[in-house]
Amino acid sequence: MSGTMRTALLALALCGAFAGCGARSEQGNAAASNAETGNGTQVKNATGGGLMQDRSFKSPEEALFVEKCGMCHRQMGMGTVILARRVDPKEAMLEQRSDLTESFVIQAARSGIGNMPRIQRGEVSDVQLATIARYLGKGRK
Amino acid sequence: MTRAAPSGSQLAAALKAFAGAVGAANVFSAPDDQVAYSDHYSPDETRHQPAAAVAPATVEEVQAIVRLANQHKVPLWPISRGKNFGYGGAAPVLKGSVVLDLTRMKKIEVDPDNGTVLVEPGVGFFDLYDYLQKNRIPLWLSVPGNSWGSVAGNALDRGVGYTPYGDHSARICGMEVVLPDGDVVRTGMGAMNGSSTWQLYRNGFGPSWDQMFCQSNFGIVTKLGLWLMPEPEAVLGVDYEFDKPDDLAWVIDTIMPLRKEGIIQQSPSIGNWLRSASVMTTRDQWTKDKGPLGEDVVTAIRKRFNIGWWSVQIRFYGPIEIAQASLNVLTKAMNGKPVLLAKPAKWMRGDPPEGSPFSGVPITFPLANANWYGGRGGHMGYSPVLPPKGDLALDQFKRTYDLYRRYGIDYHASFALGERSVTNVNQILFDRDDPAMMQRVDQFFHALVADAKAKGYAEYRTHIEYMDLVASTYDFNGGALRRLNEKVKDALDPNGIVAPGKSGIWPASMRETRA
Repeated sequence: MSGTMRTALLALALCGAFAGCGARSEQGNAAASNAETGNGTQVKNATGGGLMQDRSFKSPEEALFVEKCGMCHRQMGMGTVILARRVDPKEAMLEQRSDLTESFVIQAARSGIGNMPRIQRGEVSDVQLATIARYLGKGRK
Repeated sequence: MTRAAPSGSQLAAALKAFAGAVGAANVFSAPDDQVAYSDHYSPDETRHQPAAAVAPATVEEVQAIVRLANQHKVPLWPISRGKNFGYGGAAPVLKGSVVLDLTRMKKIEVDPDNGTVLVEPGVGFFDLYDYLQKNRIPLWLSVPGNSWGSVAGNALDRGVGYTPYGDHSARICGMEVVLPDGDVVRTGMGAMNGSSTWQLYRNGFGPSWDQMFCQSNFGIVTKLGLWLMPEPEAVLGVDYEFDKPDDLAWVIDTIMPLRKEGIIQQSPSIGNWLRSASVMTTRDQWTKDKGPLGEDVVTAIRKRFNIGWWSVQIRFYGPIEIAQASLNVLTKAMNGKPVLLAKPAKWMRGDPPEGSPFSGVPITFPLANANWYGGRGGHMGYSPVLPPKGDLALDQFKRTYDLYRRYGIDYHASFALGERSVTNVNQILFDRDDPAMMQRVDQFFHALVADAKAKGYAEYRTHIEYMDLVASTYDFNGGALRRLNEKVKDALDPNGIVAPGKSGIWPASMRETRA
């Protein structure tokens, strides 16, 4: 195991310490890679190397994504960790995906998917969700 | 005595009136909205499905809705952000209630000099973290293990974090509350017009009400004051791993004196191997056998991730001299004890922010553990409070460990050291796509509550499905506490419109049919 991977795994192990006080989770299982596979990419994405996740943005659409989705779908996010078990770990963060369509994003958010709970209209309005879907779908309908 | 919320024309009239108060765009009553506000971790989401949700943006709109709910006799279930997963999420105890969704109320007022914040219920931990970063305010949050939720909502449900400010409800200082009759009150010093000490001095004059609105249904908190920790110069500590289940007893007896003395100011949490492992891997990577995990499997997982049977992380905060001196006391206490692994931890002001709740940084991925069994995972909290004695904790561990095995659930628990108590936080992991398992989980939960009751222990917090059950264990003098709670309820909320059933407190009209 590389040094980087060991550090990242230790960071993950430590974060296990925080389970247990009110929670949510993200996408399911499938014939997945184990947490330590994928060249450590998953682990690095998941832990951000043990640092706070990147909360920066360059556009209003990205800002909305960061505000509403980033906590689970950027570094240190539960969605990122679990998605890395079922997609190419390099695309575990939604913003790196090249296969998301706008309609799929809206469907996943409103209906929930795997371990991801449904996102209610009080939290993300239809207009806001359409904006986020455009940002992630990059023009794919 | 019906324990049912109104439906049909009565409900329709109420929703129409709500739309008049907040705009039709902020009333959500489509079938998919009802599902969206249900409990995602429930085996049967319809049991606690609301009829609709309404989302006001201001305290005046909250007051208007409360008054209309009284007129139409429609119960409201207030949520801050509705992320209290493991305890019911956004869903009401009483099916058919209308969720009062306060997510849109997102005002933040920080007093950087005094280290306080006043938040509205919709402010999440990430929102407040971003605000402090953007404005370069050197104050730290205390965040729960999963920081998706509301700062105010978490404190009101007596959530916990990992810094010295981790007992969140104890750091509340002043509230604004809409009472069930629509009146609005400010507690503590906020009761004076133009007060400049609302977030600075908790008690006010005369009776002090803040704690009355925690885990209760006596009012709707629309603003909550909270103290924040000044960024320390240093965070020092050690992550310990221990090899044997029986180590739990001496670890508690070694650490607890330092906790009681105030040398350790945060709440160390001693968690089992699965607490660590379930974030990093899934069960099916290790065994296809659905039965109880064999010791060979446990050993293989522990070896792979280099983790103990138990682990605990301890941190000291403040000027480097003080943190170092405190750490020395801990090291001395642990000297000669059978520690499997001790890994030092250090953060100094100027270092980049750690991605860790020990530094008050919000994260969400620890709850990837819900994926342990695969399928659509979930979890439920079970958290009895014990005296802070190693032998009692070990006995608690052994009894509950046997129950876990009997009901076919993998043991996932921790023992969190308070100043005078130990909370045995169990996170019951499950796969919602396994109906047989979900049935066992329900029976298991009843068995756990009965087991604790027999020992004289009670839970500090519970899922909406079990609020009556847990309330019934508080049984001194024939349930005198519940009688008091319900007298207060009747006085403040004669129509029973705010969160009927919360914490086992029911309005008079619904009281006879105890679950």
